[in-house]
Amino acid sequence: MLGYTITQWLFGILSFLAIMFGLMVVFSRNPVNSVLYLVMTFFCIAGHYLLLNAQFLAIVHIVVYAGAIMVLFLFVIMLMNLNEDTEPQRTWLSKIIAAVAGGLMLFVMVGSLKGAGDMGLQQYGNAQIGFVKNLGAVLFKDFLFPFEIASVLLLAAMVGAIMIGKKEAGES
Amino acid sequence: MKGLLIVSGLGILAMMAEIFKFKKLLFPLVLLGILGAYVANFMEWNSGFSIAVFDNMIAFDKVALAFSGVILATAFFWFIMANDYFEDMPTVVDHFSLVLFALTGALMLTAFKNMTTLFLGIEIMSIPLYVLAASKKKDVKSNEAGFKYLIMGSFASGFLLFGIALVYGATGSFDLMEIRAKISEMGSGMPSFFYAGIIMMLIAMLFKVSAAPFHFWAPDVYQGSPTVITALMSTVVKTAAFAAILRLFMIAFGGVSESWSMVLASVIALSLVIANFSAAVQTNVKRTLAFSSISHAAFMLMVVLANLRSNATLDALLYYSLAYSIGSIAAFGIIYNVTKNGDETFDSFNGLGKRNPLMAACMVVAMLSLAGIPITAGFFAKYFVFTTMIGTGYKWLLILAILTSAVGVYYYFKVIIAMYFKQATTEEPVTIELSQKVVMILTTLFTLALGAVPGFVAEMFKF
Repeated sequence: MLGYTITQWLFGILSFLAIMFGLMVVFSRNPVNSVLYLVMTFFCIAGHYLLLNAQFLAIVHIVVYAGAIMVLFLFVIMLMNLNEDTEPQRTWLSKIIAAVAGGLMLFVMVGSLKGAGDMGLQQYGNAQIGFVKNLGAVLFKDFLFPFEIASVLLLAAMVGAIMIGKKEAGES
Repeated sequence: MKGLLIVSGLGILAMMAEIFKFKKLLFPLVLLGILGAYVANFMEWNSGFSIAVFDNMIAFDKVALAFSGVILATAFFWFIMANDYFEDMPTVVDHFSLVLFALTGALMLTAFKNMTTLFLGIEIMSIPLYVLAASKKKDVKSNEAGFKYLIMGSFASGFLLFGIALVYGATGSFDLMEIRAKISEMGSGMPSFFYAGIIMMLIAMLFKVSAAPFHFWAPDVYQGSPTVITALMSTVVKTAAFAAILRLFMIAFGGVSESWSMVLASVIALSLVIANFSAAVQTNVKRTLAFSSISHAAFMLMVVLANLRSNATLDALLYYSLAYSIGSIAAFGIIYNVTKNGDETFDSFNGLGKRNPLMAACMVVAMLSLAGIPITAGFFAKYFVFTTMIGTGYKWLLILAILTSAVGVYYYFKVIIAMYFKQATTEEPVTIELSQKVVMILTTLFTLALGAVPGFVAEMFKF
């Protein structure tokens, strides 16, 4: 089709959708809509993972991000009763500064990635790494230490959440 | 490696204290554990033996062991100093385990060999701190501090991850040594997004050490957090972050220093000017010390900028972090006792020379050390930094550093003047716990001893 393979077509469509939904997250006035657009963005990124032969990562991405974390987001938005009216109005100055800073960042990224197309694709490591079996082998062999120490991170986050939420003596 | 295991185990043990009801025993246990970790650290240093099991991920070489030693020693003093604040709290157990987990992250940052361990170390260190900054739940300032720190810190972590991704894309590895090898192999043929990645990682790391222009969170967070937590942030966390920067930029990106040294030089110049002039106009002591910590960060960054792969570089940074940590522990310990009534302005120090002569004397030494006046550790710390810089092309930075240090003397002396030459509103003596008194005296003596025999620490690296 027009000289492109089916993978390239899929990549183009998914990228377009991901960027479009990403923009919608920022531009939509209603926080609930933002979250729903974010879910769509995550689905597009999961599609990219599939194209990269990382099936496990794609599924985990959908289950954890699009599923669990987005539900949390929605809960917070509903509990705080956020809607268009409660959204704070930014001044023009801060809008302009944000646009300039973001634009510069975009400029740098586009500039630095410009020549990268000529580099040619390099395949690092095992092409079959996306399968659960291979991923597990790497995780428990090369990356055993980070895997184990991540438990400290989760534990610290849990203790912290409990400490912040704990009722202190004299609190009603 | 054993030190890391002991400290993380200690954090879990601290959580058990609530269940098995040995809350009273917790404080001595933690002190013993940190001492044990220190001894294990010391033995590893002498035996030259390092557990090579995770060598591709984390390696406690001599540099890592030395910085771990500084961190553990500071943590030991910090726990004694802070115990008074935690003692009567219902959440003492949670506080202790969070601090110990942060310490685990700090130790990881001294020894990482891989980008994954770098990122995990930073997160393990930061997440407990976000919570600790907000731990005074009924204080709006503390809530603001925690929230600001969390939002800004997450943003910086995003930059770090983006940078790591770009560097990985260019080199195909997370391993510091392999990245170094790839750089020397490719020479100037590295793709340009590799350099963008380095700068993004640099931004994230500069954020963590609160160098200007990424310092906006620091004054608010330092002021809003409980004083003892501020002390932890400006000692243990700073040392760990600098050990990480040194490791990352000397090992991995040392070969392409021309791509980041100009950025770093301008950041240092900005930090020196902004920090010292802002500190001079503050009225809040903790806020002043926050700006002072930014200026100290600039000094420590100079060592990284010199980018000499020599023992002198390591010695200079090690000595500076030790001198700064010890001086800060003493200063914050006294500030904690003086500002117990909630007044954090310079006026709270009025007449301290009469109300508690010992504390005032300790504060004088701490302030002189932070300002860099001779015979204290702070003077030699600055001196060693200058000697590493003198051979490089950044002499203008040296001159700027000396000039801004002169401004620094002004705000450190504001405290001393308040203590000795201003009338106190009350004659009532300031009380201090015995354990804290011991820490104050020990840290003061240590500061003086380090200044008297600087060679003791400054020639650690001879191999």
